[in-house]
Amino acid sequence: MRALALLLALALPSACVGEASAVIGPADFTPVLSPSAKQSLAHVGAYRLDVRPVTNAEFAQFVRSHPQWRRDHVASLFVDADYLAHWPAADRIGGEALPEQPVTRVSWYAARAYCEARKARLPTWYEWEYAAAANEHVTDARTDPAWRERMLAWYARPGSDPLASAGLGTANLYGVRDLHDLVWEWVEDFNSLMLNGGARSDADTVNFCGAGALDAKDREAYPVLMRIAFLSSLEARSTSRRLGFRCAVDVP
Amino acid sequence: MIPVRRPFACAALVLALNGGGPALAAAPPDVSPLPGESLYQLPVTLETMAGTTEPFARHRGRPVLVTMFYTHCASVCPILTAELQRLDSRLPVEQRARIAVVMVSLDSEADTPAELRRFAAEHKITDPRWTLARTSPAEVRTLAAALGIRFKKLPDGSFDHSTTIVLLDAEGVPRDRTSELLGTSDRFVDAVATLVRRESR
Repeated sequence: MRALALLLALALPSACVGEASAVIGPADFTPVLSPSAKQSLAHVGAYRLDVRPVTNAEFAQFVRSHPQWRRDHVASLFVDADYLAHWPAADRIGGEALPEQPVTRVSWYAARAYCEARKARLPTWYEWEYAAAANEHVTDARTDPAWRERMLAWYARPGSDPLASAGLGTANLYGVRDLHDLVWEWVEDFNSLMLNGGARSDADTVNFCGAGALDAKDREAYPVLMRIAFLSSLEARSTSRRLGFRCAVDVP
Repeated sequence: MIPVRRPFACAALVLALNGGGPALAAAPPDVSPLPGESLYQLPVTLETMAGTTEPFARHRGRPVLVTMFYTHCASVCPILTAELQRLDSRLPVEQRARIAVVMVSLDSEADTPAELRRFAAEHKITDPRWTLARTSPAEVRTLAAALGIRFKKLPDGSFDHSTTIVLLDAEGVPRDRTSELLGTSDRFVDAVATLVRRESR
């Protein structure tokens, strides 16, 4: 059964295993947070997603060719004080920052600039969520208790553990790795994620942090909800030692 | 997004979309370096309700109240607009004259200059210190992120968005913000007045 599923996965035209990015979609799916009160389905067009997060080595290369993104050059509008703070020098990795580890302590602006330099972009939240709903066998493993246990295991791990190298996680159906068990990841529309309704449902004062009830499709979808909660707490210049990113591109 | 290079590309794009119409004539721009936190480093170009294009940094040199909205928003945006007008009117006349008000649309597609003019007329916005404008979807995302405004386009074309008014100083650095739609507190009005006094010295 497992072998059959694997064979099917390899034969799927949308899977592009063994390359640096995987083709995913187009698809309609049910995201954890409904697009609106009246609509539960979200659409993603066809896109390519990096199979692993961007590494320190790759980001160091970018910083060397785009020195305006060196931690000692970049304006404070675009990054907070901890931007790339774990690198031994502004344009050099090493020490705590190993080449194959995912780059972290990068802001949304910096992540976006990196992808743009590669003629790519950050994935949208729906693109990330759709890719992350798959396990090795099916496009939507979210109702599988074993899958959910595995997700939760990462969130339960202490944040002080050193980061593993990028690309070592189990590849999902599309060949994409490390979506759940390595770092948090920036998305292009992180500032669209709100755990309550936004302005129109709460005209008095708008305070997303004080969201009372979750407008959640599946209240048990904690791994994804934790992502949303984390991303919705960020500012564009925020950085964190567990926050990295990967890039995406449209498939024409 | 590359802070240094993109402004020119964006300006060119908006001009092209505009059929190369004349840009707003303005005083020679201040080219001295901006503070690191200044939003005027953002490569954002506005298309105003007059149909002209101008850099978001055009109001450099005086304080600005900035917010994001969209014209076909039935509930909150009219309240937000009215509150912004009340806030403006609570400032002493000589201070009011020194502050600009900029409302940038979240809806790049629907909020054409004509639509923005209709909204301005409906809300009796005639003061030239007020700018209603739109920009490209990518620049909406950038500007909203920098202002700390969260928004989401809904399937029916409307938007969920936080209703924040941000006070920028003369160099484009955010100095204060409020989300009080039903009566801005004296504290925020005082913050605006204090900044205007300081910037005019």
